[in-house]
Formats: sequence, C-alpha cells, structure tokens
Amino acid sequence: MSKVMVLGIDGAPFTLLETYLQKGVLPNLARILKAGHGLSQMDAPVPDVSSTSWASFFTGTNPAEHGIFGFMELKPGTYSMRFPSYEDVRTPAVWEIAGGTSGMRDSGLKAAFAGAFASPAGSVVLNIPQTYPARPMNGVLTAGFVCPDLKKGTYPAAAYDYLSSMGYMSDVDSNKAVEDSAAFFKEVALSLEKRAKAYEHFLEKGGWELFIGVVTETDRVHHFFYDAAFDASHAFNGEFLAVYDRLDRLVGSLYDRFMDLTGGQGKFMTMSDHGFTAIKTEVYLNAWLRENGWLTLDSGKEYYEQVALGSRAFCMDPSRIYLNVRGKYPRGSVDPSQRASVASELKDALKAISGPDGSKVMKEVYLKEDIYRGRLMDEAPDLVCVANDGYDLKGNLKKSEVFGRSAFRGMHTRHDAHCIMPLGMMTSGRLHIEKLAPLILESLAGADTATR
Amino acid sequence: MDHLTALENKSIFIIREAYYRFKDIAMLWSVGKDSTTLLWLCRKAFFGKIPFPVIHIDTTYKFPEMYKFRDEYAKKWGLDLIVGRNDGQVEAGMGPGKGTKLDCCNELKTNALKQTIAKHGFKALLLGIRRDEHGIRAKERIFSPRDEQFKWNYEDQPAELWDQYRSTVADDNHCRVHPILHMTEMDIWKYVQRENIPISELYLSKEGKRFRSIGCAPCCNPIDSAASSVDEIVTELETTTTSERAGRAQDKEDAYTMQKLRSLGYM
Repeated sequence: MSKVMVLGIDGAPFTLLETYLQKGVLPNLARILKAGHGLSQMDAPVPDVSSTSWASFFTGTNPAEHGIFGFMELKPGTYSMRFPSYEDVRTPAVWEIAGGTSGMRDSGLKAAFAGAFASPAGSVVLNIPQTYPARPMNGVLTAGFVCPDLKKGTYPAAAYDYLSSMGYMSDVDSNKAVEDSAAFFKEVALSLEKRAKAYEHFLEKGGWELFIGVVTETDRVHHFFYDAAFDASHAFNGEFLAVYDRLDRLVGSLYDRFMDLTGGQGKFMTMSDHGFTAIKTEVYLNAWLRENGWLTLDSGKEYYEQVALGSRAFCMDPSRIYLNVRGKYPRGSVDPSQRASVASELKDALKAISGPDGSKVMKEVYLKEDIYRGRLMDEAPDLVCVANDGYDLKGNLKKSEVFGRSAFRGMHTRHDAHCIMPLGMMTSGRLHIEKLAPLILESLAGADTATR
Repeated sequence: MDHLTALENKSIFIIREAYYRFKDIAMLWSVGKDSTTLLWLCRKAFFGKIPFPVIHIDTTYKFPEMYKFRDEYAKKWGLDLIVGRNDGQVEAGMGPGKGTKLDCCNELKTNALKQTIAKHGFKALLLGIRRDEHGIRAKERIFSPRDEQFKWNYEDQPAELWDQYRSTVADDNHCRVHPILHMTEMDIWKYVQRENIPISELYLSKEGKRFRSIGCAPCCNPIDSAASSVDEIVTELETTTTSERAGRAQDKEDAYTMQKLRSLGYM
C-alpha cells in the first residue's frame, strides 16, 4: 500500500512537454523523470472536452457509464438546456471507492476493488472539473470548473473557511484574456500562487492516502495563446513560458514534499485531460448541417429551441451530433426505425467535409456504438466527430458560415494528453485516461496488478 | 420596547433621515413582501401620505397577481407610482428564453432602472433589501453610494457607527438607502403579522405549494408548503432549514456556468 499523488495539468500536451523538456524549460519535471518516472502520450475520451475527460479520469469509466458527454445537455424530451453537475456523474470516483463513500453508485471498478481496502483511505481532491457541488467524502474536496459557489463546492466546511480566508480562486476570468492580456497573465500568476499555497496547506495537514491537485490555468492560457508556445517572436511567448516555469516549480516542490513524507515510497503521477494544438480555423458544425439540409433553425427562438420541424440533426459542443428523432424530441423528424441508416448517411457526409485549403476536416466520425458502452447509451450523442489538428469543431448555433476565426488560438486534441508515472506502473500499449483510475486504486490498496 | 417596535423605529428614523438629506428621492417597490413592508413603514413615517414617488420596475414578466396587487394598493394608498420599463428591449422581445437569464435581468431590471433614474434625475433610492438575504448583502451599508454604472465599491465603506451616515454622493452617482437592512426574513413576517400588512396571495399555500420569494414568473419556483396564512408561515419558518432564495438559486448557477462556458468559446 502506498500513498499516491496525482497532479493534473489541464490541457498540457505530451508533445509540448517533450519539446520543453528538451529545451530545458522544465528542470523539475526533468529530474522527476530521471528519478524513475516515464512520460507517455495518452488518449482522452470522445469528445475530448474537460468535463467528459475528467469524469473518465476520476471514475475510470466510459462516458456511457459515467454519463458526462459534455458541459451541456438537453432536458429529456425537450430542447431546453441544462448543465450536468457532479450529481449527474453516475459512477463513483476513485476517492469514493477508496474512502468507502460511494453509496449506491456502482461501477465495474468499484466491484473490482470491493474489499480491497482494509480501512477507508482518506483523500485530498483539489480543483478537479465536474465535481461541483461537493458532497461528503472521506477527506477534503474543492470543486474545479465550473464552481459557481466555493462554499457549495467545498467539503468539509473547515476547508471552505480556510480557502475563502486565503483568497483561493477556483478559476481565472478568461474574458480578460481578450480584453486585457497583461491583466489576464497577472491573474493567472496570482491564481497559481493561491493554488500552490492551498495545495501545500492540505498536503501538510495530512489525513490522506490519495492527493489529487489540478491546475487549470494551463488550459486557459492555451485557449488564448497557444500560438505563443513555440514562437519566440510572439508578444506573449515570455508570459507563456513563465506559466510553465511556475508550474514546473509547483510540481517540483509538491513532488519533493511528497517524497519526503513517504520516504521515497509514494507513487507520483502527473497527467492531463487532453492535449492542445494551434487552430487553423474554427468549424461550425451547425452551420454545415444547415447548409447541407440537415438542420433548420427558427430564428425567433433561442438556443436549441430553434431546432425546427423537419430538422434531422443538430450539434452540441464541441462535436456531438444528435439525430432529431421522433418521440425523443418535441419536433423530432427522424423516424426511429431510420436512425441507423440516417446516422450512417450523416457519417459519410461529415467525413467528406474539406477545409478552406482542401484538406480533410475530420480525422474520424464515430457512431455511438463504436465508442460508447454502458447503461447510458440512450443519453449518448448519435455521432461524435474528431477533427484533424487545426480544425476546431464548435456547436455554436449563431454562425452562418461553416469556417471562421475568433479570439481563440488553441484547440483540444484527443490523442496528445500526457501522463507521467513511475516506470514500474507503466504498461505496454497505448495509454487511455480511463486506465488511470485502476492504477491509482491498485497502488493505494497495494493489490497485485495481475490479480485484478 | 419590544423587538419589532425597536426595528420599526430604526427603519422610520432612516426613512425620515434620507428624505431630509435628499429631496430627489424615490422608493423601489417590487410588490414583494419586503418592499411592501418598506412601503408600509414609509406611510407610517409620513403619517399616511408618502411625499416621494414609488417606482415599480416592470419586466412585463411579473405574475398577474403582482400587477393586480400593485394597482389596487397604488390607488388605495394614493401612491405617486412610476412604472419603469425598458421599452426598447421589451419590444425587441427580450425575455428569459432569449439570451441568458443574466442578459434578461440586466436589460429588463438593471437597465430599466438606470433609464428611470436618468429620466427623473433621482439622487437617492429607498430599497427593501435585508442583510440576511444573501452573503454579499451582509456587507451592505444603510447609506450606500453607486456610480453611474451602478457599481458598488464594497471595499471602501464607512462603518456607520452611532447612526452616522455618509450621504454625500458625486454628481453622476446616486445613493441607495436601505431602511430594513437590519430585519431578517422572520422579522418581516412577524411585522407583517403584527401590523396586518397586505401581501400578495402568491406567498400563501395553494395545493401544497407557495412562493417564498417572488419576482418574474419564469424564474421563480414555489416551495412545498402547507402554510396558507401569515401565522402558518411564521410557524413554518421557525422550523425550516432551507434558504429563502433557494427557488431562485439554480438559475443563478446556470447563468454563471453559461457565462464561464462562453468565455471559453462554448455555446
């Protein structure tokens, strides 16, 4: 049985870390790697959006098991929007399995570790997206994106008292990135300082076997300034590198403290929920659906209420396509018996989209049966697109052109998330984010990998 | 002196003090229980005839019962009623189904009020907010200045010890005055009970549900309750553990979430 520390670095790509390590930008990560850890490229789930990906990470399950397919859903039988919260995550989190607080929530992972913990293990869980509102658990949790109310997002109350007293920030104001870039980087720096202080505080306080701390600032900076990552002449290249420098020092100091505490026996990991790459163009899939006769919008209404009778499909962020099936939606126009053939027709059409420079937009278009498995198949999107690097897929309903640019400079990638873990934990074959939860629980429980 | 009388005296002192210091003053009346209580106190403060206008910000989405109540008592109490409405946005179809709920509140409430203040040149407004309503309101002062953008600098406020209020405001600012800031939800109901103040029927249980907080119909959710009289509401509040504005909380969280998602390019 060993203590486990996982530092999540939202959106930190494998390829960027490799390049920065070679350039000597990340001295602390470099020495951690030298001390018996390996860096691997990792796949995120589909779609590669933070809420889905983090839920897959912390439950070790597929989206059709945990139920988070994106930041937004439609209420059953309507076109009206809702925002799934932690309460919508149907499978238990690793800290709930280890801590004996998973209640009625069930999963294959929970079953596999039934009885593996002689006594419940405490956890510290800081800033993981999709964990709002916090619920009682064995340890401390403060929710990451989206956290509308720090008090409701933190358990127990004493942890909230501490966080609010030290001016902890659950997120930065991303609007500032466009309005006032210098102020944005200042806020990112301040937020990282607060995180460093809070994470060190909870680390020292003890009472945990599992420590998970996530840094979200990387994702925010990437969204607006990814073009600065490798371009020394970019006006914000210095600021971009400074964020990684601060991050590297934060990782280094938490690693050192963790190794001191565990006499070098603790299992240390870092990981990201997806990668990033520079945007060539944004692709507005609803505009494409309209242009090609799949979707008609009633401009007198708002959001998905606009889906008019006769529409066969619509897209929700980032690239989830839902067939407008009769009986499922108020103005459903696809006969349920035709679902499979319509989906396959749409798949072929989507795969054929080419960008302004003639290159293929889609790397792959998946039918839900191809990628999802679990109890919640009915809630899954009918198709999900994964784009080639540079094509940023969006579900915006307001755009009339298929291609365009905005203030965003970086987009998520599915194939370029990263994971650093002890060499002894590494397995052959490509790593997927769902595979981390069992590794964490095995280390915590001290179980023999081969028996699980 | 009993508790309710002490509260009443304090409120009346503030109302009369505000009227003495600002001649261009008006009061905001949402037709809810708190501002109706404030209206009652203003009537008492001036022996039945309120010497300044009463503003109702009409989003056009209020409950029909609220409009009826407003018109009935405006007439009965001889109020100088000003109905403030953002006509441009109302005609453009602004509503909770269009844009975010935050956009809707911003246009139909905040901007409607800005326009009303500009049109009539008010320098001060009496409002029926209470400290126990929401965390941020606990920081409020009784005399609280706002700039032309309605910004409130809560980090720079005088302590207001010994009933000393700062009532100087810059030319482009106005002062908000909060005569019932010190009352709690329970104080309000006990005072309504003692004074027999008329309140909207929406507060009283019908078929097992009643509203604990009223505003625009699309954004208010009733609570489960059997309390069909003010006496029963007082008894119910003595035992409840949920917050007054719980019926409105989800909307606020969703509006926050939507704003956050938009800032990252979603939606």
